[in-house]
Amino acid sequence: MSWDTLMQYKWGIMTPEWIILGVGIALSLIDLLMPNDKSRRPLGWFAFVGVIVAIVSLVALLPVHTTTILNDSFRLDSFGKAFKLLLLFGAAFVLLLSIDYQPREGMKYYGEFYYLFLTALLGAMVMTSSGDLITLFVGLELLSISSYILAGLRKAHSLSNESALKYVINGGISTAITLFGMSYVFGLTGSTNLKKIGMQLSTLQDSGHQYVLALAFLLLLVGLSFKLSSVPFHMWAPDVYQGAPTPVTAFLSVVSKTAGFVIVLRLFITIFAAAPAQGKDPSSMLLSMQDYIAFLAGATMVIGNVIALKQRNIKRLFAYSSIAHAGYILVGFASMSWVMIDSIWFYLAAYLLMNLGAFAVLQIITDQSGSEDISQFAGLYRRHPLLAVLMGIFILSLAGIPGTAGFIGKVHIFLGAFATDPAHYVLASVMVAATVVSYVYYFGLFTQIFFRPAAVHEPIKLPIGAALVVLICAVGTLVFGVLPGMVYHFLDQFQHFDDFLH
Amino acid sequence: MKQGKCSDTISGWHVENEKRAMGPFDKGDCDTMMENAWIIPLFPLFSFLILLVAGKSMKERSAYIGIAATLLSFISAAMVLIERFHEPTYQLHREWLAIGKASIAMGFEINALNALMLVVVSLVSFLVHVYSKGYMHGDDRFSVFYAYLGLFTFAMLGLVISDNLLQTYIFWELVGLGSFLLIGFYFYKEEAKAAAKKAFIMTRIGDVGLLIGMILLFWQTGSFQYDDIFAAVQAGNVSATMITLCAILIFIGAIGKSGQFPLHTWLPDAMEGPTPVSALIHAATMVAAGVYLVASLFPLYEASETAMLTVAVVGGFTAIFAASIGLVQTDIKRVLAYSTVSQLGYMMLALGSGGYVAGVFHLTTHAFFKALLFLAAGSVIHAVHTQDIEKMGGLWRKLPLTAPLFLIGTLAISGVPLLSGFFSKDEILAAAWVHGHVVLFWIAVVAAFFTAFYMFRLFFLVFSGDGRSEAGDVHESPATMTWPMIVLGILSIAAGYVNTPWFGPFLGDFLTGESAPSHEEAPLWIMIVATAVSLAGIYLAWLMYGKRSLARDWLSSKNSLTYNVLLNKYYVDEFYRMTVGYMVKVLSLFLQYLDRFIVEGFANVLAAFIRAIGTAGSKWQNGQVQWYGAVTFIGLTVLIVILAFTGGYL
Repeated sequence: MSWDTLMQYKWGIMTPEWIILGVGIALSLIDLLMPNDKSRRPLGWFAFVGVIVAIVSLVALLPVHTTTILNDSFRLDSFGKAFKLLLLFGAAFVLLLSIDYQPREGMKYYGEFYYLFLTALLGAMVMTSSGDLITLFVGLELLSISSYILAGLRKAHSLSNESALKYVINGGISTAITLFGMSYVFGLTGSTNLKKIGMQLSTLQDSGHQYVLALAFLLLLVGLSFKLSSVPFHMWAPDVYQGAPTPVTAFLSVVSKTAGFVIVLRLFITIFAAAPAQGKDPSSMLLSMQDYIAFLAGATMVIGNVIALKQRNIKRLFAYSSIAHAGYILVGFASMSWVMIDSIWFYLAAYLLMNLGAFAVLQIITDQSGSEDISQFAGLYRRHPLLAVLMGIFILSLAGIPGTAGFIGKVHIFLGAFATDPAHYVLASVMVAATVVSYVYYFGLFTQIFFRPAAVHEPIKLPIGAALVVLICAVGTLVFGVLPGMVYHFLDQFQHFDDFLH
Repeated sequence: MKQGKCSDTISGWHVENEKRAMGPFDKGDCDTMMENAWIIPLFPLFSFLILLVAGKSMKERSAYIGIAATLLSFISAAMVLIERFHEPTYQLHREWLAIGKASIAMGFEINALNALMLVVVSLVSFLVHVYSKGYMHGDDRFSVFYAYLGLFTFAMLGLVISDNLLQTYIFWELVGLGSFLLIGFYFYKEEAKAAAKKAFIMTRIGDVGLLIGMILLFWQTGSFQYDDIFAAVQAGNVSATMITLCAILIFIGAIGKSGQFPLHTWLPDAMEGPTPVSALIHAATMVAAGVYLVASLFPLYEASETAMLTVAVVGGFTAIFAASIGLVQTDIKRVLAYSTVSQLGYMMLALGSGGYVAGVFHLTTHAFFKALLFLAAGSVIHAVHTQDIEKMGGLWRKLPLTAPLFLIGTLAISGVPLLSGFFSKDEILAAAWVHGHVVLFWIAVVAAFFTAFYMFRLFFLVFSGDGRSEAGDVHESPATMTWPMIVLGILSIAAGYVNTPWFGPFLGDFLTGESAPSHEEAPLWIMIVATAVSLAGIYLAWLMYGKRSLARDWLSSKNSLTYNVLLNKYYVDEFYRMTVGYMVKVLSLFLQYLDRFIVEGFANVLAAFIRAIGTAGSKWQNGQVQWYGAVTFIGLTVLIVILAFTGGYL
């Protein structure tokens, strides 16, 4: 590849990635050159501004038609644009949280904190836009490795170390399984380009080859379920979430999970949708393997919600809750209706708002008390009525009560399960049952906040960054819940993401 | 989703008005009250918002905000009802959300049923707001109470004017939330907390039925609008089994909300809330929402005989079941609670028997006399500071206003002629008889006997004889509490006359449109039987508790088993605790142990030991992660084995 070819590419479509990369490098250099006793907090704001600029540049790119560069390995299509928006907004909120993060035992590594967030984000963004197994995998690893370090940044805290170690080991297993699956796909097609793979596989007639492809399907599904924290790769989540610094937990449960769904959708739809199979739908491997996804979705929802009932540690509770939410989103994927990607996008957006809002409140409370027990939320309404009401909104939304974003998201996924032929009654029923179970712990928390007398009467201090996140997320949760039409109007420009394969 | 600018917003509104054929741009005649009925629920909402923000500084002046808001609602609702007498049904909705081809609309509708319910709800709510000013006087969270009342009233009024199932469902849940908050108002009492939780979870079980039924209907008819659903049902676009299924699923929602058997157990427990709340939510409005839901979906139910029969049987059974429990309770509010469950059963029985007018009629009269009974009971509790009727007595002279008002309510609910309850109950019995439900008819008659008996048992124990209470200083309640009761007392007598065999079935004509014959032509002997059983019940109660010529335990001593079964409410709560409660606990414990002991097992059990011996701990940590990985491999292997056997490749 000569210099000239390289310069022909429209590098402009990578502007958001360039910005994040630039800010990340700049931060690492500044951090290196800065005297050790200086506060690193301004660096957090710098990173935040960088993410905002990236959002602006992405919005400017929205009208651009589907473009690919670098031999079709980087694509700017509507799928990439829409999901990158989620990633960037999620990262911006998490950065705001991390600026105010102050664990009891103190923490030295704020500089690393910020630029590792950015590299993780960059990995997620590259995954979103990649059209090639290699870039996809590199993005995935960039995200993963940055996250491993982030989880262990509270070096003086033993749980944080444990969390990082467990995360690395499980991540390694996940990577191995994923790569194994990818190697089958490569072996069958001789290509790493997703579009070429898709075309090659659509002519796959040999039954033995199809079996290998089905194996690859399962390997990829299980391997990638690590990022979604769904069954059977969910067990790391509670331990890692509990030990990691709170903003990192928020990042893992929202941004990293979103990235997981991005790679799952991108891979499975391009590779398997048109491949012939022996199952119930001979024309599509994806449709004939639908029941496996549905089964895992059901198991994820049930396990997440039922085990959550018994948790006393708020971060473990939210870990199980986030497992359950991954299950709901998988229902959207498993039903494979034609509004699938729209409904998943909406759910992820709603989940981003409500979960990050809840995490912001969680961070404010746990930072101040130094304890992560649920009882720290008791009497919050007495201590700080506004914060309690806003947390109430997030809980209601997570539970899926009408008037909130969470409700609309669930309804869409639910309707999607009915919109296909044949409809997925069993899966929809499991979803309803699991949702009912979730009321028990969500309303348990609700009762703590509103009906229990406060254990401590110490007034709550609201740090500016976390307060901003709470406020924006609460407004967003309500707006998405009351005027979902606005959001769908915005999604209309992507036309159900039909440029996925072009 | 049409994004409208200011000018074309109006074109997005679909105005349906049968008589005036109003064009979408014709705003000429928009100032009538019916067209602005959407404002009625907003008054209490504003009250809620104002009190939420400024309640703390307003203290007990908060009451005026709440009272003013509900008064405005009531006045507007009354105007709407009066207009509705000579105007046709009015409907207004606008697309809210479009998913693919399906469009979901939000709007409101004023038909005869809605207009009537608006008045009933806003009136009772207004009276309860006034009453609470006296009852809640001196409570620390006075303004919070009024804020919650506002939220509840908003939700209930919103529920009543909804023109589609989805919107109904949203308000249905909001009403549940209001109820949850108000039952748990005395949150420092363990019982109140438990009752609030129980009410919420029990009604949610019903709501799941409603949600599924609603979504099935949407799937079948492509719309949540009541009109579209009825049109599709009448056109035969929905299969008969599907209609039955949907109707029964939705009825499960009504069972939960209206405290019908077997989801009734939350309602008596809900009496832990403040008494005005019991009067508003758990007597007159929210619990009637289930009946209202069935009534507003009546064309759907009429299309399925099975569904109608289910409604009738559940209603009839609940009526006698709850009435029999009411015979032996000793807590004044619990007696009234079981009586509410029983009366709601009557309404369901009426609807299920095809007696649409009878059901709605009884809903209206019951709202008045049951609210009266609860407010009067609150006044009694206010005076003697106990809820145990065994500790009361001889209050007739000490409470010169409350006592006669309580008597009016008791006479009305017992079905004594010339009071409102007599006419509506007679209508229900007639409906059951005319539609051939002989067994249900006799069950209802027996339940009527029970009702008369336990209500007068309550009355005599509280008001007659000598004072058994040690509370010396018993005095009548303040005027803010007595005036609402007087208004309700008058309504308890007069409300029956809107639909009588003698002066004409005004209500029936109004509800069904004048063309249809609305009154059930029933034999006269039904009325005589109804009167006779009610008087017999009163006479027996008088013998046992008034005159005391009959020993109180003449029956219960011989049937101690029956007595205990009734006293323990047929052990339904115990049954639930033993079965469902344990099952859920066992399942979650099982999974918890799976997670705790197998997954983290060794590491956690030995955690202390590990810390003590220091560095050796890391080995156990490793063990844990191996297990995590092992689970993944097991999962993967299971999937691959399933694929190998069922995939069809080998």
